[in-house]
Amino acid sequence: MSLVHLANTCSHLQNASRARLGLTSIPDTKFHLKLMLAMQNSGFISTVVRGGPTPPPTHGLLSHPTSSDPAAPIEPVTRHNISTRRLWLGLKYWNSTPVLEKLSLVSKPTRRIWMDVTGLKKLVLGQDAGYVKGLRKPGECIYVSTDRGILEARECVEQKVGGMLICRVG
Amino acid sequence: MSVLRSSECVFCHFSRSSRPAAVARRQFHSSPVHQKRKPRFPSVKSSSNDLNITQAAKEFPTSKNGQIPQHYSAEQRAAIEAAQKLIDLEKLEKQTGLRTDPWKMKYYDDLTKIDPVVDKPVRAPWTNIDDKSRLKTEDELEDDLIKFMQEIPAPKHENDFDPTLWDKFDKNLRLTVGREEAERAPRTALAPDLPNISETPRPKKTTKGDEVVVEEPPSPALVRLMQMTGYDRRQISRLRVKTVIMHQVVNQTRLGKISKTYVLSVAGNQNGLIGIGEGKAAEVTEALIQSQYRAIRNMTPILRYEDRTIFGDVSGKVSATELELYSRPPGFGLRCQKYIWEICQCAGIKDLAAKVTRARNPMNTVKAAVEALLSQKNPEDIARARGKKLVDVRKVYYAGQT
Repeated sequence: MSLVHLANTCSHLQNASRARLGLTSIPDTKFHLKLMLAMQNSGFISTVVRGGPTPPPTHGLLSHPTSSDPAAPIEPVTRHNISTRRLWLGLKYWNSTPVLEKLSLVSKPTRRIWMDVTGLKKLVLGQDAGYVKGLRKPGECIYVSTDRGILEARECVEQKVGGMLICRVG
Repeated sequence: MSVLRSSECVFCHFSRSSRPAAVARRQFHSSPVHQKRKPRFPSVKSSSNDLNITQAAKEFPTSKNGQIPQHYSAEQRAAIEAAQKLIDLEKLEKQTGLRTDPWKMKYYDDLTKIDPVVDKPVRAPWTNIDDKSRLKTEDELEDDLIKFMQEIPAPKHENDFDPTLWDKFDKNLRLTVGREEAERAPRTALAPDLPNISETPRPKKTTKGDEVVVEEPPSPALVRLMQMTGYDRRQISRLRVKTVIMHQVVNQTRLGKISKTYVLSVAGNQNGLIGIGEGKAAEVTEALIQSQYRAIRNMTPILRYEDRTIFGDVSGKVSATELELYSRPPGFGLRCQKYIWEICQCAGIKDLAAKVTRARNPMNTVKAAVEALLSQKNPEDIARARGKKLVDVRKVYYAGQT
């Protein structure tokens, strides 16, 4: 769970969105994959596909690659190809503005922040909790690493679990 | 398709814009909307007709048949005669009667008349130019004079002559033959068929009870503003326009210091429209008018939550000035500095807090505040972009009434 790599990934995704790219890739780790799937669940990114150094072929009907495409099955990870695996992400745009506009770390590699349900509840209501600013912009999300996987802060409050704050997406 | 190409959202085309519709603007091109089209088929020339009308006219006995009215010319009567011979009356009756077949039209229209709603309107001719008009010859003028002389009543005594008669004749005498308008109101090369806008309008006088109210004509700048915005004078006077900054600025040239007045104004309709305008002129009043009119011209709609506050927190940055605007609950009021307060008043925002975090330059503060207000995002758009369903809990709680 390297936050250094995540910091690089955050900057990269922000840059790719500003450059209006349709597809981009990040290093393939279990942590990245879980976070990206959580973000896809929130609707920030359209697809998450594991591939090699070259982008996987696009789906026959859709304009982007999919993980469930029978024509382009996903290569299983082995110890020979693991270093070259990358996660290929489809970025989303709406009304010619990127859906994923801002991506920044909350926990830093030198200072990780854990929060319980009461703190998370405050954040979700828009109040500051500790040194973390509340979610006061419309549609802003904070992702939390919990023992039930990576969840959005609102889901954490719903399920009454706390955890480590990872990043803030807006 | 390259996978690295920027993706375009197909659904964006179907989404309605989140912003309210813009105010009516002037047309940005001078060409007419409907171009006059050429007919798709050339008209049939009479030469292609098999019937030789002139030949038939010669054969046609001039007044033998009493059925055809006499006011037709010989050619017309010949054509009628020929047509009567050719057309079988029984067949004609069958063809021109009301249709009974299943493909008949389901309505009955008199197509000989022009419907003012459906049909292309018949307009007055665009110009009153007459190609066939020419100057009267001397003989024709002489005839006019003789006609006039004959119309003068016989004098009862020696000095019985009405000079008004001659004046009337002199005034009404036409020097050309052809359409009357072509002579009376001819086209000029200076302004062909355009309204004369250079003419200064006269002050409009209206009586309000006993007193007479003299309305000054709009200045050229105001006329231009009205044309640009589509607002009339009364609507413009109803807008809230405030001058927030005014100071002297100096340009140092080799001839000396040239001083001018800089003015920044804010305009809004107190119902979601906001605009700022800058003006600079040697005269204070001129700069004021310039900035105010520019502010009105620059008015754009902003988003407001429940018509009282903003959607979430927004930030704006112009140069070293950075500020943050915070949405607040009902009844909070405007707790911010005077420049932002004035903008909120013009835009119709009632609950807001603001913090100017870095430089507090007044001009940049105003600009940054407007930028921040314009950078708001509609939650509905965000939800649509992410494919999520959105419910305003506040509205649901108060049963749709906020």
